[in-house]
Amino acid sequence: MVKNRIRNNIRKLRFFQDEMTQQQLAEKVGVTRQTIIAIEQEKYAPSLELAFRIARVFDVPLEEVFSYETENQAK
Amino acid sequence: MSFQQKNIAVSLANFSLILGIFLIRVFQMIQEGSFNSTNVFRLWGIVIALAVLVTIFATILTHIVSAIIQAIKTGEENPKIEDIEDERDKLIDLRGTRVTYFVSSIGVFLSMLTFALGKPPLVMFTLLIFFGIVAQITGDISRLYLYRRGT
Repeated sequence: MVKNRIRNNIRKLRFFQDEMTQQQLAEKVGVTRQTIIAIEQEKYAPSLELAFRIARVFDVPLEEVFSYETENQAK
Repeated sequence: MSFQQKNIAVSLANFSLILGIFLIRVFQMIQEGSFNSTNVFRLWGIVIALAVLVTIFATILTHIVSAIIQAIKTGEENPKIEDIEDERDKLIDLRGTRVTYFVSSIGVFLSMLTFALGKPPLVMFTLLIFFGIVAQITGDISRLYLYRRGT
């Protein structure tokens, strides 16, 4: 099985954004809290549109929220 | 547990109940020697009507119960239920539907096979509805599993 190699800093970014809750972030980007939990735990890779919406909430470029880990970096 | 998960759990319970009723009725018919076209097609009608009615009532009931629980939790008069379906819910639903179709395809094939092997058409019709319910249950189980796993 291919493992999800999309990493994210959402938890950290939430913390620095006045300790924003998962529910608040979910409401801002229009998804359920469960989806935010799944993304944070790297169990679910969001669509490009949702990824941009999350980055826009934190007012940072997409690369600061999500990164793609290559095979070599994973080892 | 999200609203979508609750809905799936209720659907799973409903279809398990319908499967139970269906199996009990089929075995009763076989034991009584009343396994004939009239009874089998009547059972078809009952199962389909039950599936439609119970699904509608269960969805309404889930909504009401969720609202009551939310109202008790938050103390609000008009509680907000998180019943939006986002991209992850849609993806899980699609994967569950794929499992449902896969199981029902196998079911249809096996049902046709019994007909091709010379069994009476009633066996084929009974197996068709049996695999239809089993496919729905398998789809619901896979959806719940995907929710637990993340996707």
